[in-house]
Order: sequence, then C-alpha cells, then structure tokens
Amino acid sequence: MDGLIHPALLYLLLALGGIGVAIALPRPKFSPQILGALIAVGAFGGLFLILGLKASERGELPNFNFYIFAIIALGSALRVITHPRPVYSALYFIMTILSSSALYLIAGAEFMAFALIIIYAGAILITYLFVIMLASQSPSEQEPGTLSAYDAFAREPVWASAAGFALLALLTTMMFRGLPEMGPRNQFDSDALLAQLPGKVDTALSMEGLRGFELTETREGVSAVDPAHQQVLVMVTDVAAFNGSLEHSERVAVLFEPGARAVAVGDVAWAALPEGLGVDNIENVGWELIAGHPMALELAGIILLMAMLGAVVLARKQIELGEDEKAQQVINLGGGS
Amino acid sequence: MFESMPALLGAGSADVLPTTVGPGWLWLVPILALAGCVACGLCLAMRVRTKAPAWIVVGLLGIAFVLTFMGYSGWDSASAQVVKVFEWIGLSWGDSAGQSLSFNFGFYMDGLSWLWMLFVTGLGTLIALYASEYMQGDKGYARFFAGFALFVFSMACLVMADNLVLLYLGWEGVGLCSYLLIGYFYKKPSAVAAAKKAFIVNRIGDLGLALGLFLTFVTFGTVQYDELFALIDQGVAGDMARTPLSEMWQTWAIPLLLMVGAFGKSAQLPLYVWLPDAMEGPTPVSALIHAATMVTAGVYLVARFFPLFAFEGVPHYALWTVGWVGALTALFSSTIAMAQFDIKRIMAYSTISQLGYMFAGLGVLSTVGAASHVFTHAFFKALLFLACGAVMHGFAGQLDLRKLSGLWSVPGWRIVCVTMLIGCMNLAGVPLITAGYWSKDMIMAEAFVTPGGQIIGWILLLTAGLTAYYTFRVFFRVFVGPVSFEPGDEHHDDEHGHDNGHGGGGGFHPHAPGWAVNTVLAVLALSSFAAIGLYFTDKPNGGFVGNLVGDSTAGYVTPYGHHGADDGHDDAHAAAEGDVRFVLVADPPAHASGDATGGDHGADGTPDAAHASSGGLILGMDPHKAMYYISAVVGLIGILIAAVLHGPLGMGGLGLGTRTEAARSKADELLPALGPVARWAQHKWYVDEFYDFLLRTPLRVLSHVFHAIDKLLVDGLVNGLGLLPRAMGSALRPSQSGVLQGYAAGMAGGLVLLLVIVLIFM
Amino acid sequence: MHLLADSMVMGQVTLAHYLLLSAGLFAIGMIGFLTRRNLIIMFLCTEMMFQAAGLALIAFSRYHMNHTGEVFVIFVLTIAAAEAALALALVVLCFKRRESLDASAWSELRG
Repeated sequence: MDGLIHPALLYLLLALGGIGVAIALPRPKFSPQILGALIAVGAFGGLFLILGLKASERGELPNFNFYIFAIIALGSALRVITHPRPVYSALYFIMTILSSSALYLIAGAEFMAFALIIIYAGAILITYLFVIMLASQSPSEQEPGTLSAYDAFAREPVWASAAGFALLALLTTMMFRGLPEMGPRNQFDSDALLAQLPGKVDTALSMEGLRGFELTETREGVSAVDPAHQQVLVMVTDVAAFNGSLEHSERVAVLFEPGARAVAVGDVAWAALPEGLGVDNIENVGWELIAGHPMALELAGIILLMAMLGAVVLARKQIELGEDEKAQQVINLGGGS
Repeated sequence: MFESMPALLGAGSADVLPTTVGPGWLWLVPILALAGCVACGLCLAMRVRTKAPAWIVVGLLGIAFVLTFMGYSGWDSASAQVVKVFEWIGLSWGDSAGQSLSFNFGFYMDGLSWLWMLFVTGLGTLIALYASEYMQGDKGYARFFAGFALFVFSMACLVMADNLVLLYLGWEGVGLCSYLLIGYFYKKPSAVAAAKKAFIVNRIGDLGLALGLFLTFVTFGTVQYDELFALIDQGVAGDMARTPLSEMWQTWAIPLLLMVGAFGKSAQLPLYVWLPDAMEGPTPVSALIHAATMVTAGVYLVARFFPLFAFEGVPHYALWTVGWVGALTALFSSTIAMAQFDIKRIMAYSTISQLGYMFAGLGVLSTVGAASHVFTHAFFKALLFLACGAVMHGFAGQLDLRKLSGLWSVPGWRIVCVTMLIGCMNLAGVPLITAGYWSKDMIMAEAFVTPGGQIIGWILLLTAGLTAYYTFRVFFRVFVGPVSFEPGDEHHDDEHGHDNGHGGGGGFHPHAPGWAVNTVLAVLALSSFAAIGLYFTDKPNGGFVGNLVGDSTAGYVTPYGHHGADDGHDDAHAAAEGDVRFVLVADPPAHASGDATGGDHGADGTPDAAHASSGGLILGMDPHKAMYYISAVVGLIGILIAAVLHGPLGMGGLGLGTRTEAARSKADELLPALGPVARWAQHKWYVDEFYDFLLRTPLRVLSHVFHAIDKLLVDGLVNGLGLLPRAMGSALRPSQSGVLQGYAAGMAGGLVLLLVIVLIFM
Repeated sequence: MHLLADSMVMGQVTLAHYLLLSAGLFAIGMIGFLTRRNLIIMFLCTEMMFQAAGLALIAFSRYHMNHTGEVFVIFVLTIAAAEAALALALVVLCFKRRESLDASAWSELRG
C-alpha cells in the first residue's frame, strides 16, 4: 500500500466506523445515535489524520479546507441516513452537497461546484422536500410528533453496516494498492491538449480584446500572429523546451513576458495561468463538453426529455380509491382543523 | 431371367437433333399460367365471389395454347429449339470438368415437348372452361383455379425444361398441385387421406427420380439436355477420361432410377395405389391431372431419356422392367375395373391400365406408339372423365352404376350420352373409326414384332378385350336401358333444392349440364376423331405424332423405323435392316465379345432371323397386319360380352333403352360361378390391405417401439435435466422475498465478492 | 477563484484523500439504502452514492489535468435529475395507493 496507511490500522478504523454507524442508525427504543455518530466520524477523522500525516511527509498536503469540508460532508451524510425524520435527512443531504461543492472548488472545478449547488441543492433536493411533505402521513392527533413505523427504526443495521464497511475496506484496499501503480499525473495526452489549444488561445485573446490574430499550429504549440503589429502569442506544451527556444525568437517576447505571459499547458499549467488571460474552468468544461462529447450531450438531452415525459405521464395517473380509503383520507387531512 | 427381355436394335448412329435458338417469347407460356395462379390468389384474397377466376384462367391458358401453337408452327422440325430465359444456377468448385453445376431456366423444345405442350395447354383450356361451370357455387372457386393454373405452370416447366433440375421442379410442382387438388374438399376425411396417400406414394417415385438426377449429374457432369444428349450420342461419360458409357454401370442404373420416378408419377405397379383414391378430387382435376396430363409425365420422362434407356452395349434392365410392368399393370388394373361399381373409379383403373399400355409400348421400343397413345388417351380419357363428372354433378354425386340407368332418355343429357359413347368407343378400341384403336394397335403390333415381346403382346391383347368389356359395361348400365336413377347424397349445389329422393327419382330432378360442359364435351369428342386424322397425315412415319416423336430424343432409337400400325412396316423393315447392329441379350459380356450365344433367341443372326425366331408371324401374317384384325375382333368381342351381360343383347332386343332387370341378373348370375375371384377383384385384389399389412403394420409397431423409447429414455433424460433447474429454483426461491433491500443487499454482496476475487487473484 | 486551487498540489496522496472521502460517502449511502425503509430516504441514499461517484470523478479530473471527469459529473447530474423526476413521481403514486412509504409495502410485487 506504499506506506500510505497501514492495512491493519485501516481495517481497525473502518471496523470502528462500521460499529459507529451501526450504533447511530435509528432504533425503536434505546438509540445512542450521538455516540455512534461520534465514533463513526472519529474513525473517518482518524483515517484522514493518518493520510494527512503521510501527505505532509511527502509535501503533498491538501488544502486545510479539505479536511473541514470532508468531515462536514461525512458527518452530514451520516445524519442523512440516521435521522429518523425525512425532512431533516433531506436538509442534511443539502449540507453534504454544499460541502461537496466546496471540495469541488478545492479541486479546481469551479463550474461544477456551482452547478452542483444549483442543480442538486436548488432543484433536486427541493423536489425531494416537496415529495416528502406531500407523501408524509399526517401525525395522528393522539400522538403528535410520532414517527411512521418505517422511519422509526432501521432494518438490520448491524448486517448492513458490516456489509457497507466491508465494501469500503475492499474499495480502499483497492484504491491504495492501485494508486502507486497509476502513471505520473502529468502523463496526459499532449496531442489531445494540443487539439484544444487553438480554441483556448482564441478565447484568451478575445478576452484581452485582442482581435485579428492568425492562429497557426507549431511544433511547440500554437502561435497567434497579429499581422499588423507582428505580435506573437505562443502556447506551449513543454515549458522547458519553450524557454530554451525563446532566445532565438524575438517575436515571442513582444506581447508576453516569458514564463509569466505564456500560457504553458503542462507541468505547471494551472499555476502559470496568467491572471485575466487564462482560460477559466467553465470554458474548459464547455470546450470539453461540446468538442469532446457531443453525442453524449445529445443523449443526455434525450434522457432528460424522456424523464420529463415520464414524469408527466405518471403525474397524470389518477388513483381510484375506495370509499373507505377516501373517508380515511378525509379524516387524516381534516384531523387538525 | 432376361431371356424374354425385348431385344433392342439400337440405331447407334442416330444423330442427336442439332439445337437452334428458339423464340424468346416462349417463356410466356408457363408465365401466363403462373400469372393465372397469382391472379386467382388475389381473387381469393379479395374474396371475389364471381366467376372471374375461371375466366382469367381460361383466358390465360387459351393465350398460352395459342402461343404454344404459334411456337410449334414456327418450329423447324429438324432441330431442337433451345430457349434460355435466365441462368438459374451457376456454381463451380474446381477447375476441372464435372466440378461445376450450371444450368439455365430454359426450354428444350423438340417434337416431344411440343406434343406434350400442345395437349397440356389445349386440354387445360378446355377443362378450365368445363370447370368454370362444374365448380360453380363452390366456396373454393378461386382456390381451385389457382391450383389449376399452378398445375399447368408446373407441367409446362416439366415438359419444356431444358435440364433435369427444371424438370424436377415441374415434377414436384405437379405433385404438389395434385396433392392440393385431390385434397380440395379438405373437410372430407377421405379426400384428405387420398391426398396424403398420393403425395406419399409419389415421394417413393420422386426419390428414384432425384437419385437418378444426382447420378446423371455425377456421371455426365451436366444436367442440361443439349450437353447430356450430345454426350450420350458420343457414348461417353462427362469425366475427363471420357469413359465409354458401355463400360459404366451408371448407364443402366440411371434409367432404372428414372423408371422408379416414372412409375410413381404414372401409377404403375406397385405404386399405382394412389391414383384410384385420387378421384376424391373434383372431376376436372381427375380429367386433367389424373388422366390426361400429369400421369403421362412418367411416359414423357422415359421417352425423353430413351437414348439412355436404350443405350446399346449395356443390359436394358430398365427397359425390360418398363415393358413388363406396363403390361402387367394394364392387365391387373383392368381386372379390378371389371368389378368396380363406381364409374369414376372404373375410369381411374382404366387410366392405370392405359398407362400400362404406354409403358409396355416404351418397353417394346415403340416410343411412337406410346406417344400416340398418350396423345389419343389424353383426349378420350378427359372426355370420359368429364362426361362422368357431368353425370356426377347432375345426379348429386351419384356414381354407382347400379343406381343409374337410361340416361339416354333423360332430357338434356343427350350430348353427354353421345360424347360418352365416343369416349367409350375410343377406350374400347372400336376398329377404324376411333383413335384409341389405332394407337393401341400400334403398341400391340410392336410388342409382337419385338423379339421377346410376344408375351407382352398377348397380355396386352387380353387386356384390350377386358377393356372393351368394362368400358361398355359402364355405358350399357348407365346410359342405356330404362330410366331409373337414385340421386347421391351430395348436395353441393343448393339451388336445386331437391330432397333426398331415395328409391327412384321421384322428387329428384337431375341437373342437366349447361353450355360450357356440353361445348367442352363436344369439342373433345370431335378432337378424338381429329386425332385419327392426324394419325393418317403421314402414314409411313406414324402420322403427326410419329413425326413429332421422330424429331425428338425419343426418336433416337427407331428399331423398326417410324412405322405405324399400318402396312408401312415393310418400309420400316427395309429401313431397319441397315441399322441393326445387334440384338440385346441379358448377358453383357456375351455381346461385348461380339458373338451372342445362339441359345438366346434373337441374339444371333440378322434382324430378319431375330424377327422370325421371335415368332413374328401371327396367323401367317405379319404382326402389324394381323394385329388390325385381331385387336378389332378382340375389342368387338369385349363389347359383345358387355352387351350380353349388361346391355340390350341380354334381353334379346337390340334397341337402346330396352335393358331390363333380366340383363342385370344375367350378369349377377355369373358371379357365383367365378367364386371368390369376383369378390377379390371388387376389393381390388386386396392390394391396399396387403400394403397395409406389409408396410403400415410394421411401421406402426416400429413407431410404438420408438414412442416407448422416446417416452422412457429421451423424455426421462430431458425431464431429469429439467428437474435440476427446478430444484435449484426451489432452493433459491426464498431469496425472492420482494423486500427491496434484499435485492440491494444481493447487489452489494456481489460487488464485495467481485472485489474480493479481484484482490485475491489479480 | 483560483485561491483554493492554486494552493493545492494534486499528488497521489491528495488523490487518496479524495478517494477515501468518496468511498466513505458511497459506503454510507449504501448502508442507508440497505437499512432505511422510507422510499424517499432510500432514493436520497442513491443520490448520495451519485455524489460519491461525482467526487471521485472530479478528483481524477484534477489529477489528470483535464476536464473529462468534470464533464462526466454533468452527465451524472443529468441522470440524477432524471431519476429524481421519475422516481419521485413513482413514489407519490405508490404512496397514494398504499398510504405508506414503506418499501416492504410493495413486497408482493415479487415474481
């Protein structure tokens, strides 16, 4: 496992987490949910702590915010499955979403972070809330605040937790075993990146208000030449090679300072992105989406359309209830007034 | 064993007809018939209730006949016309010869094809016209005519084919149409059984034909007639080495196989049993398919491959068999016909008998005689059937000759009676004025002339007498005498609205035939006379038919020249003398060595000697000449006996309509004297029962055995295997709890399992 | 905007953090799906498993310096939205029939 974490420790902590979750799941009578949640979150926290220590050894420590949001996400996820009231579950799930979107931001996926909030928290979860309210049994007069039987206690919490954490153990084992075998992270397909470069350069230039450039693909990358001013922008895939060849090229320096102004797509691509001129995340995603996966995009549209039609059909369905059931519903609905 | 095998004077140098390209529009002839079938199918689909299908078919077949006649007129009789419509199959799997199979959808039109096509399309048109009235009011009107047209198409393919495969297609096609039309009244169990019987019995014959086809291809490397007959003419097989045919066993085996096919289709012993039952079909079908055309396909096949049947240098097992089987069939079925009471069945047995004549004719090398008899028989037998059909139609399905009498005096039936009389005279062979007399005569004379054929000749002669007797038995019983009839129990024509007038025709009014039936009967009656005229057009060569046969592959071997039954035999003799090479004996090595043994009569010496030693002279006259008188006398004697036992002479009176109960009893008186023979004949010599015992009973026992094996062993195995999943299912059924999470847990467990496997083994 | 991103170096250890979190979310979602009886909560748990997958995709996207992973998250969202629309409509229908959101109320649907 390449020393990321000791297997015994990993399994111990996971077993602890499983016990915690099992305790935290709702039970009909005595249910020390807080204790279970604490145990579970503590187990996860321990895992992250060990990983963080290892990361600081290697100088690959993630942003501190990561730990905060990771714990929030896990904690609220636990609450989602342990809270006996569905409305709270949904609200906790929104919290999970929010912390997830923060983690997206940390990973540099700004567009997806906000899209997640808008779509999930804003649309889907609100739908859930509506349905929860629509489909919940109204509390009876005699025992206000009681739960439905199916919300009050979990089904086979011990076995389910055991299965879940066994799966988690296997997944993490796989992951940690597989990570060292993964190729170097910058071993990306430079050809594919090069293919995207013209679009990126064009976007970058137009955002700067620079127009009329002729784009040509060169060996190092893409050069943009303004015929009037003889200005050149070069985007390269290999900064070192680019810097080496720079002295022989006077035109490159006209507009962009070496290293600072050149958009180098490679080792330090994100760090070297010039402020204001860089291609931001949303454009990248857009480019990837439209240029890379047009077919999938169309299919996604069709799926959404079909889902819409299906929802319409289902929603139009009339349920014929018997007289007794109707009477029961009237009593249920009018009970409070 | 083969001592009495007919000797053969092979005209080895006889030339194969050169081929020329025929008129391209000839394909219209079969296609018109097919179009008729399709049109009737459309009528069937659109539920047309009118007579439109009949008129479509009559019209199209009429056009086909006219086209055939035009083609025949434009035919240069010195050559065979070959018409290629399209290449049907072209396969090759090697470089050397014989490793390719290619043939056309094409036609080979020589005299034989023209002869058959002329009467197939001509009779087809006439009988379709007849059926337009006969089948009126039937629910399956369009279905009937669809099958009818399809039959004509298939028959045209069979006859016009320029290769064996197309012939086979037509062969099976006519078999199918026969099956469909026999089983036309498919709600009648007897009709269905008859159709099945016809189909299955024909399968046996078709197996022979198929094997013959395969063997032909293997031997000659081709199935195209022109190439095939050229090879046979050269006497070599189609392989690279050009092996002489006289050294190959295939040369006599192919004809034997083809012969089996011919026996099946043409209802010869022992495969004749289907034809009498085939009378369950509508009468026009019986007339066209089971009397005039389809059943002569076997004769056509043998005639077409006559060069191979009569190939010199190999023993002629097939030809010998054909002759003897034909003669025996003729005798056998005529004895059955004598004892039957159903007039349509009598006609059926007479058809078998006459087909026997044709095969005997082929066996004694008289292709001209056989073809002539096919031609004349087609007309008069169709006539007889159609007349019987008219009677049956008019008397509500009554066919028992004991229950019908004196139709001559019933108003509206005169044309039927007259035409029936003409048909009977033809069948009985009334001398001089009937075509049947001349063609039958030709065969019998030839039998006596051919070395080794005398016994066949005597058998045929006896049969001629019997034929005359049973034919006029029908006529005298049904058409002459006091008027008395009982209607049958078939009321397929409700418009007559008669009651079941049993016990005399009290409330029953026979439904006299209409104009179409009468017209067709009259035309056919006239045609049967016209056939005599055609016969005399060119006497030395056997007339019209003789010319046609002479200009075909069947004319390849003309041992005694193209002689007819007239005194042209002298010329024929003279012509034959030059051609005679050898006389066939049973033992191939004997004549392979060149000196046939003297012990075999006719095996040595000149043809004259052969002729003489084979008892050529009858009554001190040449057989040809003598046969005129002998067969005429025999025929007349047969008629006379019929008249005494069943007809006016029995009463002593000569006038028509004077037959009485006395005459009837006269015939019946004789029955006890015959002992069980009459009963046996009436029961068709128990052949069906014999076949039942011989074939069906063992098969049934066998099927029970296999059924038991199937039940116990195979089913046991399969059911045992079936228990396995059932046991597994009942073991796993509890997991199908309906609880959603149970299934999810299953999925999770599967994922866990998968990951464990990956972790451990990868 | 780049504040968070700039300070992060996505090494293998960092990726491990993300993946651990993702796996944890997935496991919790699965446990929830297996234990809770309320149909709506069960669907919420499937959404949580979607979230876990999305998080892993984002992490890998960052790790590999391309945007394919992010694009796939869009598709995940699409499927989640479609599923929510249909599943919730079905849940409402089921509730109208049985007056209960218990998944085992429909256990007679077994084959």
